[in-house]
Amino acid sequence: MMTPAHIAFAVLTLPLASAAFTAFFLRRRGRTAAAVSVGVAGLVTAGALYLAFRGGRFEITKEWFSLGSLTVCFGFQFDDLAALMLVIVGIVGFCVHVFSLGYMSDDAAKGRYFGGLSIFLFSMIGIVLADNLFMIFVFWELVGFSSWLLINHWHERPSASAAAKKAFIVNRVGDLGFLLGIAMCFWTRGTINLSDLAVQTSSGHAAYSRAIPLLLFCGAVGKSAQLPLQVWLPDAMEGPTPVSALIHAATMVAAGIYMLCRIQVLMVPEALTVIMWVGVATALYAALCAVVQRDIKKVLAYSTLSQLGYMVAAFGLGSTEAIDETGRIVLVAAGVGAAMFHLTTHAFFKALLFLGSGSVIHACHHEQDIFRMGGLAGRMRLTFVTFTIGVAAIAGMPFLAGFFSKDAILALAYENNRAAFSVLVLTAVLTAFYMVRVWKLVFLGEPRSDAVIRAHEGPFSIRFSLVVLAALAVVGGYYRSYPRAFSGVITLIPEAPEPVHRIVLAASLAVLVLGAGAALAFYRCDEEDTLRVRAPGLFKALLALNLAFDRSYDYYIEKIQQRFAMLLNFVDRLGIAGLVRAVGEAVGVVGLGAQALQTGRLSAYVYWFLAGLVILWAFATGLL
Amino acid sequence: MSLPLDPLLFSIAAPLAVALAIALGLPKRWSVRLAYVGFGVPLLLALHVGWHFGAEPKVAGYAFLHTYSTGLQGLGIALKLGVNGIAMPLFVLAGVVGFAAGLYAIQSGAERLKVYLMLLLVMQAGLMGIFASVDVFFFYFFHELALIPTFIMVGVWGGRDRTYAAMKLTVYLTAGAMFSLLGLIAIYVKSGAHSFDLIALRSALAAQPLPLLVQKHLFGLLLLGFGILVSLWPFHTWAPLGYGAAPSSTAMLHAGVLKKFGLYGLIQLALPLLPSGAAPWSHGLALLAVFGNVLVIGLVTMAQRDLKQMVGYSSVMHMGFAFLGLATATTLGIGGVVFLMVAHGLSVSLLFMLSTCVHHRTRTFSLDEMGGLARKAPVLAGFFTAAIFASVGLPGFGNFWGELTIFVALWHYSPAIAALAACGIVISAIYGLRAAARVCFGEPTEAFARVAEQTPPADLSWTERLPAIVLLAALLVIGLWPKSIARPINAAFAEYPAAEERSS
Repeated sequence: MMTPAHIAFAVLTLPLASAAFTAFFLRRRGRTAAAVSVGVAGLVTAGALYLAFRGGRFEITKEWFSLGSLTVCFGFQFDDLAALMLVIVGIVGFCVHVFSLGYMSDDAAKGRYFGGLSIFLFSMIGIVLADNLFMIFVFWELVGFSSWLLINHWHERPSASAAAKKAFIVNRVGDLGFLLGIAMCFWTRGTINLSDLAVQTSSGHAAYSRAIPLLLFCGAVGKSAQLPLQVWLPDAMEGPTPVSALIHAATMVAAGIYMLCRIQVLMVPEALTVIMWVGVATALYAALCAVVQRDIKKVLAYSTLSQLGYMVAAFGLGSTEAIDETGRIVLVAAGVGAAMFHLTTHAFFKALLFLGSGSVIHACHHEQDIFRMGGLAGRMRLTFVTFTIGVAAIAGMPFLAGFFSKDAILALAYENNRAAFSVLVLTAVLTAFYMVRVWKLVFLGEPRSDAVIRAHEGPFSIRFSLVVLAALAVVGGYYRSYPRAFSGVITLIPEAPEPVHRIVLAASLAVLVLGAGAALAFYRCDEEDTLRVRAPGLFKALLALNLAFDRSYDYYIEKIQQRFAMLLNFVDRLGIAGLVRAVGEAVGVVGLGAQALQTGRLSAYVYWFLAGLVILWAFATGLL
Repeated sequence: MSLPLDPLLFSIAAPLAVALAIALGLPKRWSVRLAYVGFGVPLLLALHVGWHFGAEPKVAGYAFLHTYSTGLQGLGIALKLGVNGIAMPLFVLAGVVGFAAGLYAIQSGAERLKVYLMLLLVMQAGLMGIFASVDVFFFYFFHELALIPTFIMVGVWGGRDRTYAAMKLTVYLTAGAMFSLLGLIAIYVKSGAHSFDLIALRSALAAQPLPLLVQKHLFGLLLLGFGILVSLWPFHTWAPLGYGAAPSSTAMLHAGVLKKFGLYGLIQLALPLLPSGAAPWSHGLALLAVFGNVLVIGLVTMAQRDLKQMVGYSSVMHMGFAFLGLATATTLGIGGVVFLMVAHGLSVSLLFMLSTCVHHRTRTFSLDEMGGLARKAPVLAGFFTAAIFASVGLPGFGNFWGELTIFVALWHYSPAIAALAACGIVISAIYGLRAAARVCFGEPTEAFARVAEQTPPADLSWTERLPAIVLLAALLVIGLWPKSIARPINAAFAEYPAAEERSS
């Protein structure tokens, strides 16, 4: 009899089995590997849907190992939050697997690619199901590895190899804080189990209760690419486009937000304020960067950053304090509802946009420059329609998914923090602006390169995924009609009171008209960026802003860190080596041994050893 | 299930017997065949010991106890063999790494292969003996038995700078061994137990502990001696130089197993016998380890241009984590050290072996003259990357649990030191992934393109793959099934609680 826990275990481990099988036996049989991997993704999705709707909610935990005072458990906490995330991962994962069948059909290393997708699915599901912080950390590192593997897929390109390396290392910087936060939580709260933490009454020392959530947030800053660790995500676009859709848009980068929602019981108002401003800053910064990109995937990458900032800000906005009947300060979890809602709709429309761009790139023989596209509306009807739905959804077109989830966040911001609200509204204007810019340059006007002229729609696998995700990007916003299975999250979505609702509605319609209208009117379908031609000063400033982080990090690494390392290396080779040798040789016995060797009689050491034994015996028998 | 023979004794005797047979003039063909037996028997016996350890009857935590007369009973010296929960994982480690190093040596086609194999077999016997000895005299004796062949192998079969490297190695390691010998003799004399038997020593000193001052100075002496052997900063300079020059199987056995002798001595002898001696040194040790081994050497590792030197320095850095675990003096911290010793032993020997495999294809160890190996030798690149990720501490491999438990223990010891030490996870990711990228990915450099044109590099052959698979499989087993190591460690500490737990 399969219990839900067994099914959850199977959902988790099937992708691992598929990856291992591929690594050992299907390295050179790409087609078989693809079939196995897609089959497993289908099973995982079926399992995820079954668990969410029929599997009930459960917690199960088993000891993984214990050492001294530490016990690490392997367990599942399957609540509505996990169910929602699991369904998102399953559906988007399956769409991306299917899409990859067409997109990667000519790739030489299909085995490695599909094996990598399977490892990713395994690691991501581990994060979703994990019931304690250690287990989250284990799978957290593993998604980092699978991200490295897939960004590195075209490893002959130095840029891909460098991007993969950068992604892993930058994530490790965030994980440093995450790890310390877990250790601090373990020692000061006495447990790292999520449900045990939730029922704890005392939160310990005030300094710790502030430090723990902020240190754990460091992990999310790395994984969800928030300022100042956002630099890896745009570079990660070196990976194949379906990977960007799955890992670097819909699921893995959202894991930071999911993790925050899992540990919301640890939050304190001060920490939430920091989190909110990090999110707001990221949202605005990334939106500004997106305006000057030429590469279609880079635009989407910055847009992802910006939307992740939105989610983080939404989570941080949940800091409304309230006093419960026993007089304790409790948090209103509105932040969790709004963040998860936007995470859900974003997963659908951003995966759709990335796969749409993949369809375009595939058709244009890997042309990614939007200024060399144009006129694709007539050549790729289905991609055009679905991409348009995606653009409309992210820009906040009424009745599409993004409209509802963005409004929920804006309403929350309006009520809690007007400054954050105005920045987020500005970000929304920019979002509509740069998305419509891409849309116009890619699909309207006349083709601007030969590859575009010959472009045509991709195979069924590509079209299938686009249609499924487009449908979800339309219906994903109607949370009131979400299945009851997710009510634990849905009920947390904030309902704005009527006057606030009206203001926010007006604001977001104005945003849409302003942003989209400006982009439509401003950009001309040309090979040159209109902004660069008309306002070179502004363009340069935005570009400099875009590159500021990378430039300063590069400066630090090359001019400071690496030089310091070289200096230490020099000192190590000369200084310490000589110093220690001098001290060593002052010790007579050692000098003797050295002399014996320098004269070339290696076997002298054997006599030496025998002499040692004699001394030992002398000691032992009391002669000395 | 019990074997009709003492698995510990035979795991030592088998390689020695084969070495003797080779020394007596066995023809080369037979020598090689017999060498498989010499390396295989200890592995099988070690696995047997590991598998049945839990169920075996134990005396003072030791299983498989046997005592053999040596004619030196008057001095309290007897060949007493047995393994407790700390010795067992390391005993298995010695068996696994020895087997892999042996396989790699057999297929290496080294000059004067017979002598090389003979020396490796002697070393292997010594390694098995170290972790099987309950008698302190033999514990030391087996260390020397393994150490002497190391010097000879580096001096004769070594690479660049082999004479200098062998000299330096000898100076440092002899000094380290001598300091620790002095400490051990002093404990023997002071204890008044008239026995080198560790179990007897422990109970004698538990009944009547040494004066505090004596404990402190003896511990300091042992820490210095053993510390040099484990490349404690600033006594580490022998390590990268020695490993850089050593032939690969020797580097595998030394970095993988023999180097752990010092840590093993501190855990198994110094801490239980001198329980109050550690505390005065712990803070200094922690500072030395975190600033010296982890941060300074970590940065130095980043500056390396030579693959083998880089692996050597990275191993010095990882020993810093081990010293930090020791400084906490808790079951969690020290248990983490045992975990890390096993995992690091496997991963570093795998890296040394694969570095040589890379060298055979690129004709260089210089990271500036490689690149793009993944296209020409995908399996080698896969193994190399896996080994790098293991040493970087990716979950799934044993190293992760070692580092994690040490960090958690360290936070309780000192949050500031824990934070500094945790920077190590970023540093190791930087140099590890840089090395992987420069060896395997990107475009081949001009130098490598020229080499590849003359002799197109072949992918990893099965004789090279087998030892790599053995080591990688072991890393995955302890990574996925950490209980296999944690359970015996807990049992051992139940017998002799770590200092912190004892006082509380």
